[in-house]
Amino acid sequence: MKLYDSFRSALQSLVVNKLRSALTMLGVIIGVASVIAMVAVGNGASQQVQNTILSLGSNLITVSPANLSDQGLRGAGAQAQNLTNEDMRAIQAQLGPTIAAIHAEQGAGRWQVTAAGTNWNTNVNGVSEDYPIVRDWPLQSGDFFSGSDVTTNAQVAVLGSTTALSLFGDSGAVGQTIQLRQVFGGGGQGQGQQRARIVNFKVVGVLEPKGSTFGFGRDDQILVPVTTGQRVLTGRLNIVNTIVVKATSSDAMTETTSDVTNVLLERHKISDPAAADFSVTNQNDTLAALGAVTGTFTLLLGAIGGISLLVGGIGIMNIMLVSVNERTREIGIRKAVGARRQDIMFQFLIESMALTGIGGILGILVGWSITLLVGLIPQASGLVLVITTGTVVIAVGVSVAIGVVFGLYPAMRAARLHPIQALRYE
Amino acid sequence: MTVIDRASVPYRHGAAATRPVVRLRGITKTYRIGREIEVRALAGVDLDINAGEFVAIMGPSGSGKSTLMNILGCLDVPDGGTYELAEANVGKLSDDQLAAIRNKHIGFVFQTFNLLSRLNAVENVELPLVYGGDRHDRRARALAALGQVGLGDRVKHRPSELSGGQQQRVAIARALLNDPSMILADEPTGNLDSHSSAEILAILQRLNELGKTVVMVTHEPDVAAHCRRIVRMRDGIVSRDEPVLEPRRAEDEIASGIGATR
Repeated sequence: MKLYDSFRSALQSLVVNKLRSALTMLGVIIGVASVIAMVAVGNGASQQVQNTILSLGSNLITVSPANLSDQGLRGAGAQAQNLTNEDMRAIQAQLGPTIAAIHAEQGAGRWQVTAAGTNWNTNVNGVSEDYPIVRDWPLQSGDFFSGSDVTTNAQVAVLGSTTALSLFGDSGAVGQTIQLRQVFGGGGQGQGQQRARIVNFKVVGVLEPKGSTFGFGRDDQILVPVTTGQRVLTGRLNIVNTIVVKATSSDAMTETTSDVTNVLLERHKISDPAAADFSVTNQNDTLAALGAVTGTFTLLLGAIGGISLLVGGIGIMNIMLVSVNERTREIGIRKAVGARRQDIMFQFLIESMALTGIGGILGILVGWSITLLVGLIPQASGLVLVITTGTVVIAVGVSVAIGVVFGLYPAMRAARLHPIQALRYE
Repeated sequence: MTVIDRASVPYRHGAAATRPVVRLRGITKTYRIGREIEVRALAGVDLDINAGEFVAIMGPSGSGKSTLMNILGCLDVPDGGTYELAEANVGKLSDDQLAAIRNKHIGFVFQTFNLLSRLNAVENVELPLVYGGDRHDRRARALAALGQVGLGDRVKHRPSELSGGQQQRVAIARALLNDPSMILADEPTGNLDSHSSAEILAILQRLNELGKTVVMVTHEPDVAAHCRRIVRMRDGIVSRDEPVLEPRRAEDEIASGIGATR
C-alpha cells in the first residue's frame, strides 16, 4: 500500500467521524497547549529573573565584609567593618586596566529631604565616581560627581529619577540645592530636647529611571560622594559596606574574582583564604544558581503540561481501539483483497499520528494564544513569554510520538485480526 | 440433468482438459471449540478445478463447504494435505504471503457484498490495486470493470445508494480487477431477490464464457443448476462430483421474465 493511499484513507476516516476526531484531538490540543504555555511562562520567568540581576549592572563582582560567626553568633549588623576606601583604591590601582570599573559604597540610611518647599524621605547612599559605569546606569541630565569631588568631600548629590520628580516636579533639578536633615533624640519627650542635623547638597545630576528590582524601587535614592557621606552624614570614617568591581567581560570574571581576592588578602595580611574577613561574590555564580532554580521551575511546569499530554494520548489509544473494533469488517474486507499486516497497521498508525499531529499543530496555536492572553494580565506585565522553536519542535515531535506509542497497540490488534473472523464480525 | 457419482475420480471438464487452477489432495482441517471439543471440518478432500470451469460447491451446513471455501480462498490454511493454486503450493504460506496470493489470484464475491460503505463504487473496485499494482492506471481499470458489469453510470454512488443487485455487481467488478485465476463466490445470490439473482448469475455465466474460472458455494439447487459442475460435500469429504449437462441460462430467464426461482 502506497503512503499516499494510507494518508488518504486515514484522513477520510477522520473526516467521517468529525465530532469524535475533534474531541479526541482536544485532549492532545490541551496537552500541547499547556506544555507550550507553561514552558513559555517558565522561560519568561527565568528570563525576567536574569534581566533583573543584570539590571544591577553586568559582570559584577561584589566584595562585602565577612559575616562574624564567632561563638555561633550571626545577626543583623554583625559584620566586620574592615573594608575601606583604601581597599577600593588599591584594587583600582593594582588591577588597573584588567577591570572595567570599580566603586565603593556606604549606605547613609534614610533622611528627610527638603527643597523648594517640598518634603521627601528617602535613602542616601555614599558611592564613588565610577558608579554609573559599574551599574550600567546613565544619567538623564547633568553629570555624575567626579573623582575630585570624592577626594575633596564635596557636598554634591545625584538624584534618582523618582526623587528628582518628587522634589522638583518637571522643572530641572540640576543646579538646585537640597537639604538633608535627620532628627535625633527626643521623640515624643518634648520639642526642646530634639536636635536636628541639617546638611546642604548641590544637585549635579539625575539618573535615568530603571524600575524596580525584586519589588524594591531603585529610582528613589540620593547618591553622594562616599567620603562626604562618611564625614558629614554617618560619621563612620573610611568604612565602606561594599566594593563592586566590574570585570571586562563575562569570561574574565573568574580571573578577576581571584585577583580581587588576592589583593585584599595581601592588604589585610591574611594567608589562609578560608579565614578571610571579607567575601567575594561573583555575579555569574548568582545567575547560575538562580538559573538552576528557574530551570527546575520550568521543568515542573513542563511536567504538569506533559501529564495532560499523556492523558490526551490515552484518549487517542482508547478511541483507536474503538475504531479498530468498529471497523473489524472493513479490516476483513481489506485483508480479503490482499492487504498485508503492515498495510493495516500503517493505516491505523497513520490515522492516530494524523490525529495527534494535527492536534499538536492546533495545540501550538492555542498555547501561543494563551501566552498572549497571559501577557495581558497586569501582574504578568514585563514577563517576556518566550516560545522557542525548540519548544514547538518538541511539542509536535512529542505529540506525533504519542500518536505512534498509543496508536501502536490498537494498530497491531487490527493487523493481527484473522481475515475470516474479521469478515464474519457483525 | 444426469447425475454421475464421481466422488473419487478427479474430474475433467468437457473434451479440452486444460491446466488445473486448483489441485487439492487430502486436505484436512480440524477446529477446536473451547478446550475439549474438536470439530473435524474437512476429513481429506481431493478436488481438481481446471481453468475455465464454473463449479458449484453444495452441501448442508456442517458439511465443511465453508471451510473448504476459506481454504480455497487462502483465507485459512489446511492442517494437512496439499493445495496447489495456479501450480504454486500455497498450503503452508505465511499470512502476508497468503495476502499477496489473494490479491493476485482470487476474486471474492460475498453473500453480504462486503463493500466499504465510506468509499464510492469506483473506489471500492480499486481496492485490490491499492494493495498491489500501480497507481497510474488504477482508476481506468476500475472504471472498465464497472462497465463490464453494467454499472458505468453509477461509479460515484456509495453502497448505500445502490440496490443489493448493484452492490453485488460492484463486488464482482472488484473481484475482476486483478484478473484473478479464480472468482470465488460465497452464496452470491443469498441476499438478493430472484430478478437480481438472475442478473448476477448471468454476469457470472458471461464471465465464465469469456474464460474465467468461477467457483460458487451455494445451498440452492436452482442456483447451482446454472453451473457446469456440482461438487457436493458431506461430513468433510466430497461426496459427489458431477457435471451439469444442460446448465440453465440466466439470460434466457431474465428475457422470459421468470427469474431464477429461489
